[in-house]
Amino acid sequence: MEKPSSSPRSPVFQDVDFSDLALPASALALREEVRAFLKSEREAASFVPRLGHTEFDAGFTCKVAARGWIGMTWPKRYGGQERSYLERFVVTEEMLAAAAPCAAHWVGDRQTGPSLLRYGTEQQKQRFLPAIARGECYFALGMSEPGAGSDLASVKTRAERVPGGWKVTGQKVWTSWAHKAHAFFVLCRTSPTTGDRHEGLSQLIVMLDSPGVTVRPIRFMNGRHHFNEVFLDNVFVPDEMVLGEIGEGWKQVTSELALERSGPERFMTTFPLLVELIRRLGASGDARAQEMVGRLTARFWALRRMSLAIALALDPGPDGGHGAAKAAVDLGTEAALVKDMGTFYEREIIEAARLTVAIEPDPEAVETFERFLAETVVGAPVSTIRGGTTQVLRTLIARRLLGPLG
Amino acid sequence: MNAPNDVRRMLAESAARLFADHVDAKLLEAAKHEGWSPKLWQALEAAELPLVGVPAKSGGAGGTLCDAAAVLQLAGRFAAPVPLAETGVLAGWMLAGAGLAVPRGPLAAGPPHRDESLTLKRSRGRWVLSGRVRRMPWARIAERLVVIATDGARELVASVAPQHARIRPGWNLAREPRDDVVFDQAPLADAEIAPASAGVSHEALILRGALARSLLIAGALERALGLAVDYAKQRVQFGRKIGQFQAIQQELARFGGEVAAAVASALSAAGVIERGGNARLAVAAAKVRCADAAREGSLIAHQVHGAIGVTDEYALHHYTLRLWAWREEYGNEADWAIELGRLMQTHGADALWPALTSD
Repeated sequence: MEKPSSSPRSPVFQDVDFSDLALPASALALREEVRAFLKSEREAASFVPRLGHTEFDAGFTCKVAARGWIGMTWPKRYGGQERSYLERFVVTEEMLAAAAPCAAHWVGDRQTGPSLLRYGTEQQKQRFLPAIARGECYFALGMSEPGAGSDLASVKTRAERVPGGWKVTGQKVWTSWAHKAHAFFVLCRTSPTTGDRHEGLSQLIVMLDSPGVTVRPIRFMNGRHHFNEVFLDNVFVPDEMVLGEIGEGWKQVTSELALERSGPERFMTTFPLLVELIRRLGASGDARAQEMVGRLTARFWALRRMSLAIALALDPGPDGGHGAAKAAVDLGTEAALVKDMGTFYEREIIEAARLTVAIEPDPEAVETFERFLAETVVGAPVSTIRGGTTQVLRTLIARRLLGPLG
Repeated sequence: MNAPNDVRRMLAESAARLFADHVDAKLLEAAKHEGWSPKLWQALEAAELPLVGVPAKSGGAGGTLCDAAAVLQLAGRFAAPVPLAETGVLAGWMLAGAGLAVPRGPLAAGPPHRDESLTLKRSRGRWVLSGRVRRMPWARIAERLVVIATDGARELVASVAPQHARIRPGWNLAREPRDDVVFDQAPLADAEIAPASAGVSHEALILRGALARSLLIAGALERALGLAVDYAKQRVQFGRKIGQFQAIQQELARFGGEVAAAVASALSAAGVIERGGNARLAVAAAKVRCADAAREGSLIAHQVHGAIGVTDEYALHHYTLRLWAWREEYGNEADWAIELGRLMQTHGADALWPALTSD
């Protein structure tokens, strides 16, 4: 037997001391504010809680914006509140727990804003960030294409140099809410593929009302419409709408992944069903149901601690980063772990609900539990596909664990 | 907040060095027969590691429960065959709280099961202890058996000399002592008994015991993952390192997630107890999550290793045998899940989210 070499620290979450992990008082106070807001909204029946795909509700987004909860980590001069990532974490998890309709501001708040802060020009920041924070400007993401899903670097959409800008031609798919959004980030090829496929890619900001843009719905299997395909036919994009550097698109797209993959939305989209399951069980003494509820509670608790640790590590602190996540911290693997485990956890809730309360899911059900069950069963395949499939994430995690294999 | 805790980091680093210097194949093999390693114990005691988390004024080494948690995680990582958890975090905590002396030497703590209780009676002007404890960890090598017992009105802490108990040796899967102990009117001197302090109870002992096992599991899982990863980088089949096969990579990635969840939940639970948060929720969650991770992780570790991993010559078994033992001790994942589920059900659906976010 070989002697244990040294101290084999866990290769992930290396610098995190989970025993010290706690939310600051400011975040706890904010939580009460958000809860009070959501309670009054619920009581006024201003929205119907829905699971699966969060609802697009411009009115609700305006109310959230009025509270200062969109772009809340951004600098004040761009309409932000300069609050911490942990405070943002609290707002996000409260919205998810309440199944609130956040789709209108989701992408702008989570992806567009941080990317603009890190890579955008002053003019782009001025133009878009305050409008996003006011809840008046919605963004979508133009990443996937018919031939580029997990293998994002194989995008075929191309931009050709023309005087004063670029002419973009191609097709994007699975573009959620493109039919409602004002603009989207388009990942495209700005120079032909050479040896390294990751080179020659760029990000352009494309207004969805530009001439040459066509948005067509792709209906989900239950008939609902949030996905689209977006066709770009010689769409002119002026130079001032290039995001970051030409040729740096790959680096830009992948650098924000830790933030996108580790948030509470990666393990909380079915959480309200667990709440309704407990309500349905009532005082039932069924030990099997209790064990399921207990196990789901425990697993949630562990996932949330991991997600919190990432939010904390990415927080630039009060005076760093201009509101963008801390660049030096590479938590891509940790984030991938949270997403991988979180998306499977979401399914465990569905299974527990199905198996302890034997009912047939009905999409037209009136009762919340029945409706949530129908929404989550149909939505279940999505979470392990979007934002990095299980298989891609695990390959990425294994690469970190194993290191170079030669 | 959350600035790296330098003191704890230094403590963990020096503890890791000490474990690495002493724990080797020979020591672990010898412990299978002796039940523990007196040699390792002496080294740990010389460094004051067993009583980390016990106040210095009570004879402990000072520090917090989170400091002790970091040491226990390491003990698990090295499969340290010594009663580290029992001596400080359990027995030391009970004794110090009650104002009793914390002696040197390994200590045992109990009763480790919810359904066990020991009774105290006054007999000829002194206290006597009676009752039975199943599978008390490390009883036969302990200097003192530190137990919580009731006189019918309140809970008291007693430090019993082992010669006053009947100890029937037993073992867990990793051949650590788990002994049945009978107290039959065991006499106690005045200095050996005192009322339990606020916060110390049989219920709290069970919680701490489950926390300690969770921390040990987290550490042992880290080592098992390290061994599996190292093996996947060396072992060649079909002309390639097996770590180059995606099928193996997917399993290792899943393993990595289980380990991270175990570490996150166990250490977080220690922090929650220290900050005076919802200990029942945190510990139940940690023990469920760590036991789940022990099941998934141990089997992936063996699967990656193939047949070599199941021999008693290869290191892996020191960790997997402990994982399979520790997940049952102080309540397995089903016990704690039912407890936690019942708790959530009692408080009602609308209390779930506030409970989970009480931090």
